[in-house]
Amino acid sequence: MSSLEIKHLFGLHGVSKSDLRQILDTAKQFRAVLDRPVKKVPSLRGMTVVNLFFENSTRTRTSFELAEKRLSADVVNFTTSNSSVQKGETLVDTLRNIESMKIDIVVVRHKGTGVPKFLAEHSNAIVVNAGDGAHEHPTQALLDMLTIEEKLGTLENKKITIVGDIRHSRVARSNIWGMTTMGASVTLCGPNTLIPRNKELLGNVTWESNVERAVQDADAIIALRLQKERMDDALLPSMREYRNFFGVTDKVLSQAKDSTLIMHPGPINRGVELDSDVADGTHSVILDQVTNGVAVRMSVLFLLSGGRFNA
Amino acid sequence: MPKVIRSVVLKNVEFWNGKTFEHRDAVYLGNSGNFLSPKIAKQTNFDAEIDCDNALVMPAMFGLSLDFMAPQRDDVYTFAQGLEAMHRGGFYGGLYESAANPIDNNEKLFAAQQRLAGTNYQIKFLGSYSVGFGSDRLSEMLELTEGAGFANETPDALAGFGDGNVSFPTTRFLRLAMEYGKMTGKRFFFTPMDKSLRKSGCVHEGAVSDMLGMKGIPRIAETIAAHTVLELARFLNVPVHFKQVTCGETLQLIKDARQKGIDVTCDVNLYHLLFDDSVLLELNSSYHLLPPLRASSDKAALWEGIQDGTVDAISVNHTPVLRQDAEVNFEDSVPGALSLEVALPAIWKELSKRVSASRAIELLSSGPARLSSAPLAYDENDSARQAHLVVLSLDKPHLVSASDFAGQVCNSPLLGKELPSSILGTYINGIWRTIANA
Repeated sequence: MSSLEIKHLFGLHGVSKSDLRQILDTAKQFRAVLDRPVKKVPSLRGMTVVNLFFENSTRTRTSFELAEKRLSADVVNFTTSNSSVQKGETLVDTLRNIESMKIDIVVVRHKGTGVPKFLAEHSNAIVVNAGDGAHEHPTQALLDMLTIEEKLGTLENKKITIVGDIRHSRVARSNIWGMTTMGASVTLCGPNTLIPRNKELLGNVTWESNVERAVQDADAIIALRLQKERMDDALLPSMREYRNFFGVTDKVLSQAKDSTLIMHPGPINRGVELDSDVADGTHSVILDQVTNGVAVRMSVLFLLSGGRFNA
Repeated sequence: MPKVIRSVVLKNVEFWNGKTFEHRDAVYLGNSGNFLSPKIAKQTNFDAEIDCDNALVMPAMFGLSLDFMAPQRDDVYTFAQGLEAMHRGGFYGGLYESAANPIDNNEKLFAAQQRLAGTNYQIKFLGSYSVGFGSDRLSEMLELTEGAGFANETPDALAGFGDGNVSFPTTRFLRLAMEYGKMTGKRFFFTPMDKSLRKSGCVHEGAVSDMLGMKGIPRIAETIAAHTVLELARFLNVPVHFKQVTCGETLQLIKDARQKGIDVTCDVNLYHLLFDDSVLLELNSSYHLLPPLRASSDKAALWEGIQDGTVDAISVNHTPVLRQDAEVNFEDSVPGALSLEVALPAIWKELSKRVSASRAIELLSSGPARLSSAPLAYDENDSARQAHLVVLSLDKPHLVSASDFAGQVCNSPLLGKELPSSILGTYINGIWRTIANA
């Protein structure tokens, strides 16, 4: 049924270049749709999508919901705070109950790595990963890739620097897989306690502990959100030290290319991973990322459910 | 007020020339604290001429583990008194780590430096790798290393990161601290002591503790902690130092670790080389040290480590303790001992019997200075540099009395004992000091 080689979107690891190309190209067409006075298309009319969010999320859930509605799907939102999961129901039972309601697509976010794959193995629905543990967040990476292509034309031979908590970041992992598949070089930078300890399997990337060196010649800099609980968990001494040594400031930005893009998955800790001058400056494409998020999610849902542009 | 003697002629000395002691009729020190050649000396009026009667003139020492704030009573012991103790004992510098006032941010590092303002002592500091030597928050190690950019800030004041002689809380936290601190390139200094095995022990766990009925601290409290640190050092490739190693088993772990390529250094406490736990039978609380004095076999193993090169330095662990905290029954007393004023005359004869003069000076002066990234005490060939030296008479024993100590406390196991040699005088920071009672 899928128009892609993949039947579900668990992550970007192992996704072919042609699938990524098709998702991005289709997203560009949906991006154009979003600029029309009437932003809705009938592509998923008659299909039911359930947004199964076991973790708190505002941006991603809203973005998915908007994408589904723009595609004319019937949308059901499921969050743990008002569900029987709170009463002890197992994951499979939750899914089977929802599936009995004849849903077609499940968009899932869960704190556990591999939950999207588990759900796919236990249901007939198409599963889209909206973030599983620290594993992958494929649609965030796809929207990052779309934004870079939109601004720079291509990812091929571009240097992308990702700064921050790489160890706990599903965004970073998905970006590594997606961007390197598309021919970009990826440089990762963060404090020792926030980078993976065993990097061998993390692909063909470059590691740099000094942020000013990491951003040299970068075409795009993605600053990751620093979770405040990292301090409580003794992984970092203070926000201040993090900002002083790993924050993307004007001084850091001056080391990058004049045309470099500043990106962030949001929400931003201003004055921590990004200074306000940088987040709001001319290099920033953060709001473009948000818009592109809807387009990319429309593309993924559309293609996985068998849609083809010009078909 | 006695006249300050800056330029001095030391006559009739056995002078350490960097390789050996050689007889010199005179050694000249100028107003700037540097060596003068005989030619320039002829044109100089000296403040004093001292006949040293063939005493040794050697590089001043560098003290590992100084703590001038231990009692947290500046009416009893002050930083100035600590520096005075250094001058009296022939120490030109030291590695400072306060257990009571951990240096866990730049403000504290700068405040500690300010206490030295106006002096030229080569004091290096150990920062704390956690906030307050605690177990839940890392200190700002990157900022401590880089400095805050305060006016009058001493560059490179931080030698490494220490534990304040507090056992590390959990292996996970230790791993994170070392992993994070690795970015600074600094060495981590640990007193290896497993907290749970130490529990409330206060003496070495052995025949003496059994005889006295006192709770002991087993050797494995040290070796298990040391093993954990070494495994993390290997895994993370972080340089480590063990403070106050007390037994041969730990020295063997260090040797094995070095064979595997781990960057590990260590020191041995002066008093662990001078005494073993048999002295505890006197029930004198001035022998209350932490880590504790161990058995005679351990003392022998430490000397072996001194001789075979395993030990990098002899530490002084200068810790003032309030009289009311020291002069109580052994178990209730606060551990710690003063040492700066008495270290050299106490150890030199025994040390130079067992190792070459060159190795002895390395253990007391150049070794600890290198571990602390400090300059050496003197280099005769560099006449522009200040020279810090100590004059030791091997012929004159010295009876240790309370007046030998600079502060208002005198907690030392050597109090009332006769030392086999004595300090005639010291020349530190360009000032000659004739030591009283010499």
